[in-house]
Amino acid sequence: MSTPLLKVDNLTVGFPSKSGLVSAVTDVSFELFPGEVLSVVGESGSGKSVTALAIMRLHPRSAQITGSVQFDGRDLLTIDDDEMRAIRGRDVAMIFQDPMTALNPVFSVGAQIVEAIRVHNDVSKQAAQKRAIDLLDLVGVPEPRRRASQFPHEYSGGMRQRAMIAMAISNDPKLLIADEPTTALDVTVQAQVMEVLHDVQKATGTAIMLITHDLGLVAGSADRVQVMYASRLMETGSIDEIFYESRNPYTQALIDSIPDLDGNKEDLASIPGNPPSLLNPPSGCPFRPRCSMAVERCAEATPELIHIANSHASRCHRADDMASAAAGTPS
Amino acid sequence: MLAYIIRRLLVTIPLLMIALYLVHVGVSTTTDPRSTFILCLPLCQDGYDQITEVYNLDQSVWIRPFSWFGSAIRGDFGESNSIGGPVGEILWERGKNTAMIAIPAFVIGSIVALLLAVYSARHQYTFGDYFFTGLAFFGFAFPSFVMALLLQNIFGVQFENWFGVKPFNTGRKTGENFFELVRDVTLPVTSLMILGIAADSRFGRSSMLETLNQDYIRTARAKGLPERTIVWKHALRNALIPLVTLWALNLSALLGGAVVTESIFSWPGLGPAFLTALAKPDLDLLLGFVMLTGTIVVVFNLIADIMYGILDPRIRFD
Amino acid sequence: MADLGNQPSGSDGPDSSIAVMLAAADDLEGLSDKPKTFGRLAFERFIHHKLAIVGAAGLMLIIAAFFIGPILSDFEVDDYDVLNRLAGPTKAHWFGTDEIGRDLFVRTAEGGQLSIRIGFVAAGLATAFGTVMGAVAGYFGKAVDAIISQVINLILVVPALIVLSVFALKFGSTWWKLAMVLAALLWTRIARIVRGVVLSLKEQEFVMAARAAGASHRRIIFRHILPNVIGVIAVEITLLVGTVIVLESTLSFLGLGVKPPETSLGLLVADAKGNIDNDPLRVLTPGIMIVLIVLCVNFLGDGLRDALDPRSKSERG
Repeated sequence: MSTPLLKVDNLTVGFPSKSGLVSAVTDVSFELFPGEVLSVVGESGSGKSVTALAIMRLHPRSAQITGSVQFDGRDLLTIDDDEMRAIRGRDVAMIFQDPMTALNPVFSVGAQIVEAIRVHNDVSKQAAQKRAIDLLDLVGVPEPRRRASQFPHEYSGGMRQRAMIAMAISNDPKLLIADEPTTALDVTVQAQVMEVLHDVQKATGTAIMLITHDLGLVAGSADRVQVMYASRLMETGSIDEIFYESRNPYTQALIDSIPDLDGNKEDLASIPGNPPSLLNPPSGCPFRPRCSMAVERCAEATPELIHIANSHASRCHRADDMASAAAGTPS
Repeated sequence: MLAYIIRRLLVTIPLLMIALYLVHVGVSTTTDPRSTFILCLPLCQDGYDQITEVYNLDQSVWIRPFSWFGSAIRGDFGESNSIGGPVGEILWERGKNTAMIAIPAFVIGSIVALLLAVYSARHQYTFGDYFFTGLAFFGFAFPSFVMALLLQNIFGVQFENWFGVKPFNTGRKTGENFFELVRDVTLPVTSLMILGIAADSRFGRSSMLETLNQDYIRTARAKGLPERTIVWKHALRNALIPLVTLWALNLSALLGGAVVTESIFSWPGLGPAFLTALAKPDLDLLLGFVMLTGTIVVVFNLIADIMYGILDPRIRFD
Repeated sequence: MADLGNQPSGSDGPDSSIAVMLAAADDLEGLSDKPKTFGRLAFERFIHHKLAIVGAAGLMLIIAAFFIGPILSDFEVDDYDVLNRLAGPTKAHWFGTDEIGRDLFVRTAEGGQLSIRIGFVAAGLATAFGTVMGAVAGYFGKAVDAIISQVINLILVVPALIVLSVFALKFGSTWWKLAMVLAALLWTRIARIVRGVVLSLKEQEFVMAARAAGASHRRIIFRHILPNVIGVIAVEITLLVGTVIVLESTLSFLGLGVKPPETSLGLLVADAKGNIDNDPLRVLTPGIMIVLIVLCVNFLGDGLRDALDPRSKSERG
């Protein structure tokens, strides 16, 4: 195995509230390798976005963070502000969910890309402008020269997201974090934007951390997947391992809830119950109250993340039991 | 951009004309220069008739504005019967003095308010923030005349050697000494500024706070921009947009406040002239004054609109 | 495609999910069977707003002092005692006396009463008229809105004080007439705000949903739009009281507002102005009264804003 580009160890992020500490991310550890696409999947409130923000150190000031985030030989959580600023936008870049509001409405798109370039590189304005136009072309924005001097409100949603991607890769980052990049877009546009990400990844070899709640998106683009629930990492593995050999009831339930388009007309499967309160999490495994496979042990102790094979690991007391049962394949 | 400006002009000019028309009617209905003559009729019939003629008082109130406009275009704003002399000249001379305190009050006030707003927004919930919040509340609560009297008393009597109160019966100190001028205007300017600073800094603070919470600020941080650039370039440009509309209101309040402040500090500006004209009543001067302030406010609103277009590209395109 | 997200698309993303988490955590505290009504929640928020309580208490104290004070004093408003003129504060005359020996405490209280009365009456009238105009303009839009908006623009062309000066002189001979003149100018501010609120509410989906369900205009206005407007109005009316008091006292100070034999705080300041060098306290007392009243009213307004519209970013957490 090559050395990981990003190594997160025991990351915990808590937010103080009037009633106590809300743990948004609890004891999350994972690795990300150069050039790979790692997808982080989970419901709203699972902690996936907070993890990303913590890595970029873009979290709210009130957050309490422990653990380490090793990137390129440094712990991003301990370096000083100036060092972190040099890394942001250059070595690690991030694109966000809502392209409507993610671009500053009073500056032209081209100017914002130029800014991203010039803050990390000592180049002339003309050189940066040329590169900005090239980037817009790379991500598929038509008439890039004209479009560069336009304002965000003159772009469509899909184009804006492409522009965001262009801005993010402008300094050839080693890691691109994409936080729900297609959630706010129409379905057809979603596919286009994912293709742009795919092309960019092929062209530049950048590693991508794709955060999403859409399993379908994952199946088409990721190398590895990790599933989060209620601030914890529940399962991680390759695409095949997760989709076909899942050893975690939560993951399995998610896969099962994918509507079956060409099967019989059954009821839509859903997971009964609601995600737990992060202020007073249930004892033991966070998924226990909703888990069809729960036993007594699940309430007593939080399961550890058990290594199963290769890149496959699961946090479940009954992971072994699931191997013996025939793992269902989504049809 | 030019199209936008032209569009705004086309809307503003008719508005100004209608406003001035209504102002004229309003003033004419509420004042009657012949009021003192009524008592002595029929003895002073000549004087009565003379005034009637000069002010076209036999014409309907609705027609008189046109004669006023007719003369105004030729530069004739009538004669003042309280201060004496052509109204145009009085407005100009007095106007310069008022500008001397109103413009610094506006400019300095706006800048100070902006700095306070940025500071408060960035240091929310700190002692400094609460302190300035408290000051702003006080600024709102002080009527300008109380503030002016307070300043005058503190700096006049109590600090005799610092700022004497300068009565301006015969004009300013001769010699146009700049330093003396600054001494003269400091108090009036300060008392005028307070309300504007209070209002602008509160509004600016909440505008800044809202702006700093926007997604594009997070994007700017993700790009690795230094905090300084984020606050003063990305955030401020956006936070200023709603603030511009406040500036037009500020000027309107300033012009009103000048009336009070000038009379307290005996500053020979438009304010005391207005009060004198009101008392007599000096119809021509009154009309001239009210028309002038109305025009200034409308023009300033137009400038604010244009600035709005400059600051916010989204507006320009509808 | 499996879609786990129960998060609405658009806007804040991760920051809003953090906010949801924290809000859920806070709500857990008072978990009871019955959900609290809007009124109860608002009341609780108001009580917790320290400044608002200070403002409310202060205001009640001041009003009590103004209305009850003179009853406790031995002097009437007009009692004069020329031999005792221009005296400083003494045991008999708590605030001293004026040029013809009238007791200043009683006069200040009288003036305060009038200022407050004008404040509330004018604010009330302006709010009533302004709300109707604003709501009509906002709800029915198009031509009606255009006409009302232009009228408002025209009224606001000349600075407030100047317009008031001209009209108060002619029409404002008694205190309630003065209040009406003030209201005639100030309704425009409320109208603008109400119009804005109604406009934005009109576009919101719950109104469209009501229309789709077949609700009449009247039902929509009264059941859906008005409750949301009331919050804004309550805030604005308190702020308006402060504005009226400041304007009225300024006018009275200039001699254009309340006139003798009636007295107001502004007029008292004017009376005292002549002797300011020797007796600054006499000027300051009614002046500070004005400041205190307006401060209390503004604190109240701030608390109301916090209580009725928690979404707006309030200065105090």
